[in-house]
Amino acid sequence: MEARQVTDFHCLPDDLFTRADFREDLVEETGFSDYSYWGSTIRTFFKSPFVKVTVVAVLALVTFTIIFPYISDADPYKVSLSVKDWNQPPSEEHPFGTDGVGRDIWARVWYGTRTSLVLAGIVAVLEVGIGVIVGAIWGYYKQLDTLMFGIYNTITNIPSTIYLVLIAYVMKPSILTIIIALVSSGWIREARWFRNRILALREADYNVASTCLKTPVTRIVSRNIVPHIMSLIIMDAALTIPASIGSEVFLSYIGLGIPAEMVTLGNLVNQGRSAFLVYPYQMLFPTAILCVITVSFYIIGNKFADASDPRNHV
Amino acid sequence: MKREKVFEAQNVEIKFNLRGKTLTAVRGASIDLYQGETLAIVGESGCGKSVFAKSFLGVLDKNGWVSGGHMLLDGVDIAQYKTEKEWLKIRGKKIAMVFQDPMTSLNPVKTIGEQIREVIAWHFGTDKEASKQQAIELLYQVGIDNAEARYKQYPHEFSGGMRQRVVIATAIACRPKILICDEPTTALDVTVQAQILQLIKKLQQDLNMSVIYITHDLGVVASVADRVAVMYAGQIVEYGLVNEIFKDARHPYTEALLLSLPQLAVKGSDLQSIKGSPPNLYKEIKGDAFAPRNPDAMKIDYEIEPPFFKVTDTHYAKTWLLHEQARGYVKELSKKQEERVKATPEVDSGSSEKGVLVSLRNVTVDFKLGRKKFSAVKDVTFDIYRGETFSLVGESGSGKTTIGKAIMKICHTSGGDIFYKGKNINKKLSGAELTRFRRQVQMIFQDPMASLNERAKVDYIISEGLYNFRLFTDEQERKRKVAEAMRSVGLSNEHATRFPHEFSGGQRQRIGIARSVVVEPEFIIADEPVSALDVSIRAQVINLLNQLKKDKGLTYLFIAHDLSVVRFISDRIAVMYKGRIVELAGSEELFAHPLHPYTIALLQAAPIPDPDIEREKRVIAYDPSVHDYVTDKPFWAEVAPGHFVWANSHEMAMYEERLAKLK
Repeated sequence: MEARQVTDFHCLPDDLFTRADFREDLVEETGFSDYSYWGSTIRTFFKSPFVKVTVVAVLALVTFTIIFPYISDADPYKVSLSVKDWNQPPSEEHPFGTDGVGRDIWARVWYGTRTSLVLAGIVAVLEVGIGVIVGAIWGYYKQLDTLMFGIYNTITNIPSTIYLVLIAYVMKPSILTIIIALVSSGWIREARWFRNRILALREADYNVASTCLKTPVTRIVSRNIVPHIMSLIIMDAALTIPASIGSEVFLSYIGLGIPAEMVTLGNLVNQGRSAFLVYPYQMLFPTAILCVITVSFYIIGNKFADASDPRNHV
Repeated sequence: MKREKVFEAQNVEIKFNLRGKTLTAVRGASIDLYQGETLAIVGESGCGKSVFAKSFLGVLDKNGWVSGGHMLLDGVDIAQYKTEKEWLKIRGKKIAMVFQDPMTSLNPVKTIGEQIREVIAWHFGTDKEASKQQAIELLYQVGIDNAEARYKQYPHEFSGGMRQRVVIATAIACRPKILICDEPTTALDVTVQAQILQLIKKLQQDLNMSVIYITHDLGVVASVADRVAVMYAGQIVEYGLVNEIFKDARHPYTEALLLSLPQLAVKGSDLQSIKGSPPNLYKEIKGDAFAPRNPDAMKIDYEIEPPFFKVTDTHYAKTWLLHEQARGYVKELSKKQEERVKATPEVDSGSSEKGVLVSLRNVTVDFKLGRKKFSAVKDVTFDIYRGETFSLVGESGSGKTTIGKAIMKICHTSGGDIFYKGKNINKKLSGAELTRFRRQVQMIFQDPMASLNERAKVDYIISEGLYNFRLFTDEQERKRKVAEAMRSVGLSNEHATRFPHEFSGGQRQRIGIARSVVVEPEFIIADEPVSALDVSIRAQVINLLNQLKKDKGLTYLFIAHDLSVVRFISDRIAVMYKGRIVELAGSEELFAHPLHPYTIALLQAAPIPDPDIEREKRVIAYDPSVHDYVTDKPFWAEVAPGHFVWANSHEMAMYEERLAKLK
């Protein structure tokens, strides 16, 4: 190659000044961009070390709560009759201490986190799922606007606390009640949000093109629209999880949530509160775990929202 | 004529960091700029012309930097500038820039007067009253009437052309020596474009500025430039005086670019198109960057990068064809070229059968804007014959796209009838009728970036219609039909498994065309199908559309604002102004004998890529108040066979007289 770097252009081989073969395939190959939406989204997402740490922390936490019952024989429900086991400070045997009836708070925290995460997961899937379906229908049929905005205004104008309290009061406290209470107030907000997205997308040229080809609305939604807002759906689900955990804690805290004998983060915080002045760690440990979970999910959701915006794909 | 050199860029190299990779956007480009002259930098999108010019002001995007070369302004190398503070010394004061889109360069929440005043006060430290006075003077200078009143208005109260005038006023507020205009008229209509170009010319003389135009439009270049630099793949490949470039181009890229213009082509023949698309700047380019797209490339073009060869004292080109050893090859080429010219194409005189395919009768489309009602389309009547290309031409907002959408049944109408094959379709159709209609009438969209589903493979995109109309019996037949459609638009079958983002704009537009033709329609509405594409790629798509028309017997409704393309492709043309068709005639008839003053203004304003003609031209602005329609009401009538015009009886008599005189 170096030999070819001629600086004197006067005596070049004559052979070079003849026709070269024209390669049709080379021509069409040039110039396409190597941009891929998901690749760029994930790369942008993991660019910051902070996100990496948070994701690892959340994954570790979730895995730990899942496998905890299998690696530890600590029983969160085991009551001790001996007074000396009550209200123990943290020790080797009980890393988070024990509560007023001698139950191991370490075990209770992990079992509680498990319940809360499962509950939040179900709520997130239901809310976002219903939201996407209703939002798609709403976005495509303008005549639904009056009805849907009526429902939207009714549900969102009543403070959700009152609403949650009412539902929890009417029905028996149970996991199902909480799920119904949270989903029934949350779905409409998701639906409206997706409706706006779909409204913005349905006038896009490629959807008009599908209309011109008489593609049925269901396929336009499933093939053209949902794949485009998939990242938004994921982000939205990630943000619904901490919100649902928060609501569960609040409901349990005021005693309307899950029955007190079940361990959830809400119940743990509530029970720890009564002894807070004397034994602060009984409330502090569950609260700390709660904070770590909610804050990391928020961070992940928000960072993912940023990463999924093509404008940030540099 | 020895003039002082005011600016010089030498071997500038600019790099960008994009998604973890480094690309070289400008690969050693040099230009000189002399006092009072206009230099045009021409090139297709992605060739680095904008980036090159932006680097003169230090306004590159954050991920880009100048990695080599010098930029000399008043003896100082500004390529070495690092801080904003250094750049502020020259930005606006010595070099100023006008961008493409006037809306993005103005602050929407400040009055335009305030925005200009601020610039003056900030640079010169003048007090409020004095700077306001200067700002008003500037507004008058850029041709804004009643500047005192308009001083207090916001950008949204101005039309596109007026906004661009305001942007120019801010740019010249500090009396810069150099004005860089980055595609200043691309977002504007042709008639407005002509006015803005004239304004810049006038200001240049008044203020004795040097102007650098960055544009892809060779017509604009012909009308404004003294010297031209042609850019390709981050390098200047040819530069010279404007006449030398247009009349005696030496680089194969410049030649191909000029040949692909529809203005210079013979109707009925294929346009000379450049195959493929500009190279990917991520890769290292070996030899002449244009070689892979040049069917007449020499072996050396793939091996060694050519140096600049001198043609005249002012004209240089970077191609091996000018080397003494290439003389034999050049002779061989010119012989071939002569043969090609001799082989004149057989002009087929359109279709013989003249059945009406689509006909519109008094179609009106009203929109509600807040509480105001406004008619996008007013009482439009015309017929489209089977096998012809019927064009709708007009400025943005003239209602041409709305008509297309109304025929396509994706836009409501407020009155009138639309007949397709004699059946009124401007009503609710039954499911089966709509299916039949949709299969026969298809649409091609303007923006190839927006019209394909990014998350679906090309195979699905093209098959969409096949699925909907169940046009295949088994999977194999579907695959065969997709492959056939892709071949007909010049794409290979292996592209079917890719996603749209892997294709360039021209290829994407071809995929869009394949999606429409795969269902074997009879009538295609093409809504500005080439206006978003580069000159070289435009020719590919126009040829393809003509080819498909011939092969499949299609009828087109072609919607466009570019008159040169329209003239080349269409059989009949309708000119629209503010929702109304003002003139309709056969394509050659319309260009030869335009009658309505708006048509005349439109034809006048369209730039022609010939510097000699373009210099002589005077711009006529259309003023609707020339019509006196108060007592003598206008109507739609035929002045000559096949030539319709919107006029009142007085004008009609005048037009008839003029036609008689001309013939």
